[in-house]
Formats: sequence, C-alpha cells, structure tokens
Amino acid sequence: MTTKKKAASKRKPGRAATAKHSAGRRAQRKAEPKRKPRHIANRPVGRRAQNKAAIRKRIVTAALSLFQTKGFDATTTKAIARKAGIAEGTVFNYFRTKEDIALHFFEQEVDQAIASVRDNPRLRKAPLEEKLFALVHSQLEFLAPYERFIGAAFIHALKPASPLGIFSHRAQELRHRYVGFVQELMDESLPKHRLSPLTFLAPEVFWIYYLGALLYWLHDSSPGKQNTLAFLDRSLSIGVSVLKQGKL
Amino acid sequence: MASMGAGIAGSYLGYLLQRAFLGEAKGKIKLKSTHTLAARRMADEMQALRGPAMKLGQMLSLQTGFLPDEVLAELATLQMEAPGMHPSLVRVQVKQSLGREPEEIFKQFTPEPFAAASLGQVHHAVTREGQRVAVKIQYPGIRRAIKNDFSLFRTFSKPAQASGHLPKSAIDEIEKQIVAETDYLREADNIEFLADRLAPLSFVKVPRVFREYSSDKVLTMSLMTGRHLEDFLAQRPSQKLRNQLGAHLFELFHFQVFKIEALHADPHWGNYLFNDDAGISLVDFGCVKYLSPESAAYLRSVCLYPGSTGSADFRRLLETYYEQVGEKLLPGARRALIGFADNFYRKVYPPKPEKQQLFDFGDAIFLRDFLRESKNLFRTKGVITEFIFMGRAEMGLYQTLHRLKARVPTSQIVKKFL
Repeated sequence: MTTKKKAASKRKPGRAATAKHSAGRRAQRKAEPKRKPRHIANRPVGRRAQNKAAIRKRIVTAALSLFQTKGFDATTTKAIARKAGIAEGTVFNYFRTKEDIALHFFEQEVDQAIASVRDNPRLRKAPLEEKLFALVHSQLEFLAPYERFIGAAFIHALKPASPLGIFSHRAQELRHRYVGFVQELMDESLPKHRLSPLTFLAPEVFWIYYLGALLYWLHDSSPGKQNTLAFLDRSLSIGVSVLKQGKL
Repeated sequence: MASMGAGIAGSYLGYLLQRAFLGEAKGKIKLKSTHTLAARRMADEMQALRGPAMKLGQMLSLQTGFLPDEVLAELATLQMEAPGMHPSLVRVQVKQSLGREPEEIFKQFTPEPFAAASLGQVHHAVTREGQRVAVKIQYPGIRRAIKNDFSLFRTFSKPAQASGHLPKSAIDEIEKQIVAETDYLREADNIEFLADRLAPLSFVKVPRVFREYSSDKVLTMSLMTGRHLEDFLAQRPSQKLRNQLGAHLFELFHFQVFKIEALHADPHWGNYLFNDDAGISLVDFGCVKYLSPESAAYLRSVCLYPGSTGSADFRRLLETYYEQVGEKLLPGARRALIGFADNFYRKVYPPKPEKQQLFDFGDAIFLRDFLRESKNLFRTKGVITEFIFMGRAEMGLYQTLHRLKARVPTSQIVKKFL
C-alpha cells in the first residue's frame, strides 16, 4: 500500500511537468514547418515519430529490466527515467503509470504472437492444435526473458482493483483482440456445419487456458521448460479433439 | 503445482493412455488367426501401454502366465513410442537443443517424420555437405515423465517387492536402462562403440553419428538402407535368402554376447533393416546392454556344455556364477535352470552337432519351449537382473527367426565364438 501511495504522490508533480513539457513541444511542432520547404514537410514528422517510438522503446526496455531485477512493486517511474536516461517528466509523456508500461508490454506480447502465427507461411495449412501451439509458444518465448516480472504481474493481475487486472478496461480490449484471433483460427479449421455450444465458448475458454498455461510455465522448473512443451502439446491435442467431436 | 500437470504431461503412461484416447496409436499387433478374441483384446490393451509399463507388464506376465505365449513373444518386439510431434514442436525442440532451427542447420529438412523411434520420431534431412541423414528428435519432457511413472510404480508394487517376485534390483535395472534411453548422447556413444566392435562382421552396417548436429535430445546419423521385416517378407524372399539372413542375425547376436560382451538389446523390428544381399543395418541404439565379465564368462561356459546337465560339474558352474553376482541359487531355481538347458537350449543348440546340422526356427514349438522355461525361471526367482534385457533381446531374436522361418546352423555359429 505504501509504495502505491508514494507512487501516486509522485505522479502529480510529474503530470504537471508533462503538461508544461508537451505545451513547449506543441509550440515547436508549429514552428517547424515554417522553417522547412513544403515538399519535405512530412520528413521531420516521420523522424519525430521515429524518435517517439525509439524513446517509448527505451522506456519499456528500462522498465522491464527494472521490473525483472528490482521487482514490479519496488520500481518507481523515477528509476525508470534514470535507467532510460531521460527526464521523469518525459516518461509521463508516454505512459501515465508503470502499470501502463506493463500493459503496453503485454499488448506487444499478444500482437507479436498473433503476427508470428498469421505471417508464418508454414502454418497456413497446419492443423488447429499446431497453430494454437505456435501462438502460445510465441507468447511464452516473448515473456521468457522477464520471467520474474511475469510472476509478479500475474499476482498483481489477480487483485480486483489492479489496473493490470484481467478484467480492467484496457486488459479487456487486449483480451478481445486475442480471443478474436483465436476465433479466427478456429473458424478456419473447424467444420462449419458442426456448431455446438463448445465451439461457441471455445475462444473465451482458450484465454483462460492461456492463463493456466502461463501459470504452469512459471512453475516449470524442468530444464528448457520441457514439461511446458509437453503440457501444451498434450492439452492442445486433447482440447482440439474434443472440439472437433463437438462434445465432451 | 509441479504435480498438477503430472497427469497430462508428467507421466509417460499418461501419454500412452492419451494416445489411445485420441486414436493416435495406429499399429496393431499382428497376431495369428488361431488366436482367441480375448487374447487379441488383451494384446490391444497391452499395445496401448507400450514402453516401460509394457516391459514391466511383460515381466509380470511371464510369472503369472496370464498372457498367451504368442502375445508375450510379440510384446518383446514392441517399441517404446512417444506421441507424434507436429512441425512447430519439432522446430522448437531442435532449436532448444541445437540453438538453431532445423531449416537453418540442414540444407534440407523434412518437417514430417518418416518413422517413429523410441521416445521420439525420425526425420529425413540433408546436411550442408550433401550427406543424407536421419535426424531423431525426442518428445519433450519424456525423461521426467518416465521417472515419475517409476516412482509411482515402486509405490504400488510394494507387495510384489516384499514377496520377492519383483525384486527391487529388477525395477532398478529396468528403470536405469529405460532412463538411459532418453539420453541421445549416450546412444551416440553406443553407436560408435558398436560400429567399432562390429567391424569384423562384414554383413552388419552401423550408422555414422554426426556429433555436430546431435545433443541429448537430437541425434543425427547417416541414413541406412534396407527394409523392415514386414516389407522384407512381403517381397517373398527365397528360403536361401531367409536362411542367410537368419544365420546373420544369429551370428550377430552371439558375436555381441560372446565377443563384445555388450549387445543391442532392443529387439523391436524397426531397429533392423534387411537388405537383399542378406546384409543387416542397425538403426536404433538406445538400449545397449553391457554385460559384466563374470556373466559373459558364465554364458560361455554353459553354452554348448558337453557333459550332462545333471552332473556335479554343471551344478557347480551355476552355483559359482550366482555366488559371484551375490545371489543365492535356490534349489527350485537350479532345477528350473537345468530344465531350461535340457528342454530348450540342448534342442536349439545341440552340444555335439552333426556337420551342417540346421535348426528349423519355422516350427513354433521351440518358442513355446522358450517361454515355458522362462516362466519357470521367473516363478522360481532364478532370474539374474543382468539378464532381464538380454532375455528380452533373445526372445526378440527367436521371434524374428521364427517369422523368417529360417534354418540356421546354430551350434556351428556359436562354436566360433567360444
């Protein structure tokens, strides 16, 4: 609780600084096109977007490395700013809270996993269980360098009021995107004429399955997390086989 | 938490049951039509329980005699199979093991397997140097799954252990050998060992290991030629060719026991490839049993024993050996051993063979004799743990010779090595 309060109290001056800072920036932005000829006007904007993305990335990288080494709760935005080599105010330009940084990371996790399945030509004709395996494995691979933090975030996410919570607004959005993609994969592979309550519920259930798999992975002490691989493979083939039969 | 997933991923037995549930297990034991329906059903069930459970089950049924002989003989040649892996899992497994994806390592890699192997599957590939190879890849987490099963088995087999019907040393031996099969680096050592020692037998081919593409879970070997027993028999080979192959198999087995004192002890048919020039290619070396010098010496001394099996000298041979390995030879077991020698070995391996005397393995009576005498020996607690795997290999050899209907100059071949 105390750390939360501290973080909140620190946030206020931060936010004020952000406002000032962004006002200054806006003024700059207005001034720029005047200095540059029209035909290359969009060039500096592109560069600025690039800069923005680079800073965002720097903040996320710094935050994750601190979450991993110091722990999520003990990490302050100040420390994140210091680690990223920028002013604390700049951090607030990009993320309101450290929970936002964590959520951004989870969005990246889901987006890259979806892309890795969608863009992999080898998976185009693969059976459903293989696609789902590739999806979950890609997520876990993305999370692997930050295992300690993921463990802490998992606990955080279970607290009802947590912004990281599985049922928080932003997390809901992320979940919809994920479930939507799983639905897509299932529609591709399952026979259309055999709709059953199971196929209707399956994508939502898969989200919960993923959380379970994550928990299994976190507790897996086998070398190379071999047991998680076996767990994913076995449980997915059973799950998909049940789904195809349309009944338990 | 670790035990939470035990049911689904932490048990080899669990895999096999799931395989049956998911309809993954395809092959069926080929039984002769003379078999009863009940025996067939039993065999199907045993089929679902391949692997460690099968080996244990086989041992138990040897004592209790609840399985028909023919099924028992078939069980000896079943393979320890793992669930199939889809290409994505194969890639993850190779990358984790060798650091790169198979497509990056090899010039060509076929993502679909061409064969099941003990605890994994085998893929075709071509190395950067253009060499065609077989890449054996292990199913994830199988070592721990097997260990879990054994600790469970130890718990519920306490009564059989206490009664001495299933000695702890026997379970230890089986576990040790099966767990060793999960280490492909050890298998690579086995291959190189046997390739070196089997060099005098020109009809045997052993693959070459590619160490740079191998790890404890991935094993890359040169691709071997030949056909599996079933396919070979389907070509209707001549009696002459079958006799030649039979003689080669017989020679290979006894050369290993008497000369190398170590043997390729997994008699699964997929492990032998037969060629039209009566050559034999060996392909799976997970289970290689190294014999102790005492055991090898004992086998040499009792094999083709010229005198009477009832003599004091023969009795002394048996007693000395049991003493050497720290076992007590009970009178019942001694009688069983002598019975084994009289009713089986003396028939198949006549001590004073006539010139060119052939033994006809096509006649099933010898197999029944072998199984009956084995059961006897088990019942009288006369089995030395060291021979558990060799006994299984021997049964596999006889079963294969029987399928080949080979006529083999048994004693002449063995004589060369004594």
